[in-house]
Amino acid sequence: MNLANSLDSYLVLSGLLFAIGTFGFLARRNAISMLMSVELMLNAVNLAIVAFGSFIEGLKADGPIIALMVMAVAAAEATVGLSIVIAIFRNRKTPLVDEYDAMSR
Amino acid sequence: MSWQDLVVIGPLVGAVVVAVLVLLVDLVRPGRTVPVVIVSVGGLAALAALVAATGAVPASAFGGAYSVDALTTYLDLLFVAIAALTIVFAPDYLAPRGLPLGEFATMLLFAMTGAMLIAASTDLLLLFLGLELMVLPGYMLAGYHKTDGFSTEGAIKYFLLGSFSSAIFLFGLAFVWGLTGTTRVAEVADALTRLPNGISAGLGMGLAFMTTGVAFKIAAVPFHYWTPDAYQGSPTPVTGYLSVGPKIGAFALVLRLFVETLGPLSEWWLPVMVVLAALTMTLGNLVALTEDNVKRMLAYSSIAHTGYMLVGLVAYAADPTGRVDGLSALLFYGVAYSFMNLGAFAVIAALQKRAGVTSALSTFAGLGRREPILAILMTLFLLSLTGIPPTAGFFAKASVILAAIEAGGPATILAVIAMLNAAAAAFYYLRVVVYMFMREPDDQQPVLKHGALLWGGLAVTSVLTVLLGLFPSALLEMAGTAAGTLLPH
Repeated sequence: MNLANSLDSYLVLSGLLFAIGTFGFLARRNAISMLMSVELMLNAVNLAIVAFGSFIEGLKADGPIIALMVMAVAAAEATVGLSIVIAIFRNRKTPLVDEYDAMSR
Repeated sequence: MSWQDLVVIGPLVGAVVVAVLVLLVDLVRPGRTVPVVIVSVGGLAALAALVAATGAVPASAFGGAYSVDALTTYLDLLFVAIAALTIVFAPDYLAPRGLPLGEFATMLLFAMTGAMLIAASTDLLLLFLGLELMVLPGYMLAGYHKTDGFSTEGAIKYFLLGSFSSAIFLFGLAFVWGLTGTTRVAEVADALTRLPNGISAGLGMGLAFMTTGVAFKIAAVPFHYWTPDAYQGSPTPVTGYLSVGPKIGAFALVLRLFVETLGPLSEWWLPVMVVLAALTMTLGNLVALTEDNVKRMLAYSSIAHTGYMLVGLVAYAADPTGRVDGLSALLFYGVAYSFMNLGAFAVIAALQKRAGVTSALSTFAGLGRREPILAILMTLFLLSLTGIPPTAGFFAKASVILAAIEAGGPATILAVIAMLNAAAAAFYYLRVVVYMFMREPDDQQPVLKHGALLWGGLAVTSVLTVLLGLFPSALLEMAGTAAGTLLPH
């Protein structure tokens, strides 16, 4: 089995990265870490897209374009997310999401 | 890109132009309310005319990635109306808190552009881009009162769960694209009908991930946890917008995705939707019963309404003869729900004109004596949300439930659950009415003076809430035509 040159191994890697990102999002309590976990998930998606694009003949043209779009969306999301984190940090003086519980009290 | 393509995406370009114009007006006259309102509402009126004019003839652009049809036009007009009403309702809340209207209107118009892009997308990637364009300004709007702890807290919860669900949706999209070899909605649907070995594990996972992502966006139970905090924390006019704009936008995505793309697999997703709809209606209503904060209560109520709209989708999928009654009921529901919910939030925003007034139930005590007109209008919106004739809400619920009964099968059970839920929901909606007319306030609150804009907006929403209940046939016919375009040709 040639692992280095098969689509499946890249998809498994992408799935693992996505799982690590999901775990980080659910387990971390720091808003910045959660944001980084989401970025990791989006990068896992991009790895899958690029892998599909380079291994499947009919997708060679579309792959890089979709990957670029995803990168642009990820960048926009990071910008908005960081600005919201900064705004709430100024109000609460903590990045820990467990302490953002003013409404459920 | 050809000149033809540019003409077809004219309404989208128009929406961006209006947003940029508002930004420019705000640059020339910073911090002023009146010019922003004139330019944005005037621009939106022109945009509505453009949408109606270009939507008459079905057309597509960019090799079939973008289509204008009866559904696009129907939804675009609704999005424009939602944006205009939100801008009209906002100044009474924003001005006393020192929040500018210019950036608010600009963000709102960009979010509306995203929703319009969803309504016109016949390409999975474009659907995703429209979704992001719709929700990203939404996160910023939720945190618009950036010095207020509640607003930023609502925003970060909305953002974190929203971006998490976007990543899940996108992961699913990547696999569906990779394994079907296309992002075009019609081609994916075609590929799904001729799978040699049925649905492979990778494709099944991709579809499941996309379904989960969408369930987050429409706030279906059990993916609804962000909703109450995001709705309660946001500035009230933003809450009103969030409860209708992104919700109807996400339902546009549901229609394009589940009906148009995954239509051939309806047997696969029908049981999922039946469970989602039943859970969403029931849990939304049960939790709403326990809430004492009206904004939070309406957040759970909006979750319940998501459930009623999903009943329409189930009714379509369960119908053996393939009638679109369920879908046209869903589309009618979207319009009725938008106007009555925007109206209810506008009344709350009006009461909160005095900074420091909360949305607790006690704020409404004695409102019937203090400000009778607002109290009567709020009663009208709440009766419509309950589903009492002759309001729009009654007819919307009735048409969804009737479509479900006619479809038979699992939809019949959902129709029964929906009726039971409607009865239970009456309790918490009418509790507010009891507070307004039968409770004495704890302390004397001054009678507030509200702007002409607010009264104008309330007049529009209340008249529509009554008119759509009395004469629903015209809109229902439009909804039927719009739903018909989703079927394979």
